[in-house]
Amino acid sequence: MESNVSHEDWKTCFAQLAPALLLFARRWTNSRADAEDVVQEAFVRFWRRQHSLENRGLLYAAVRSAALDRLRSEQRRNRREATAALEQVDYCEPIFTPEDEGQGLLAAAVERLPNEQREVVFLKIWNELTFAEIAVALEISPNTAASRYRYALGSLKKILQPHE
Amino acid sequence: MNDFSELEADLRKLRPVLPSAGLQHRIESALGAATSLPTAGVLPKPRARSNGWWSLGLGLTGVAAVLVLALTFFDQPPPPQAIASATPKIAAAQGFQPVGLSQVVYSGRDEGLVFPPNDSGPLRRRLRYETRETMRWRNAQTGASVRVTYPVEQVVLTPVSFQ
Repeated sequence: MESNVSHEDWKTCFAQLAPALLLFARRWTNSRADAEDVVQEAFVRFWRRQHSLENRGLLYAAVRSAALDRLRSEQRRNRREATAALEQVDYCEPIFTPEDEGQGLLAAAVERLPNEQREVVFLKIWNELTFAEIAVALEISPNTAASRYRYALGSLKKILQPHE
Repeated sequence: MNDFSELEADLRKLRPVLPSAGLQHRIESALGAATSLPTAGVLPKPRARSNGWWSLGLGLTGVAAVLVLALTFFDQPPPPQAIASATPKIAAAQGFQPVGLSQVVYSGRDEGLVFPPNDSGPLRRRLRYETRETMRWRNAQTGASVRVTYPVEQVVLTPVSFQ
């Protein structure tokens, strides 16, 4: 596969994508450091193979794959609990930098979403992926992605209602 | 979806935490090293894939060990003409004939895509199956039977393509 970008181009691409990639990786990790390790591994792997960021769904699939590999290796001794652990990711460090109280409430509401819904929101809002691209990244159907997104927004509205 | 347009706008205003400055340097180092040594395995080894083969090897070793132990235990106390046997072939020579093999898949997981560390091959999907196999032999003369059950973990990598 021929490279069609210069070595410097990846910096531009990465600068644009890094915050969102990191946010997506945080779905499986509970610290920024771990998420950065995942993003590094996935981005390098992807860049070496793909040399193009046109297929963004595949880039996020690479992040997901790297994150799951890491999670599996950490939980190898008790593999059966891996699925349960996926549901138990607690954010020890903030994943957003809210500028006021309203944004703080919104950030907290996003963190309260179920993982399956939250990852779709991450990809849709902050990564600006289409549902088709999200489907590739998460290995689900586009309809499922759209459905989860709608449920997530509905949940957010419910969570935020008392504060409005 | 219009009901959510205001909420979506608010969400877009929320800024994710930025990565540390060191991350870009680390990636730069990794990409630089990868460029200078394109096939030298600069990237981390595909751990999960290695683990799959490792598990498969362990599983096969386990099968052999279980087979030896089972046949050995069966022969206690040894019948006059029986000798502990480690292989089905020898068991057959002792009058034991294979009468059945069953395989129960009790777990199957789609572990997602596997990205090769370099351009060495296509993307693959990794499927992991955990099964329990039971082999049975029977001695028609004595009516004795041997049943060996052992776990098998199988990792299947199937090529995938994207349009």
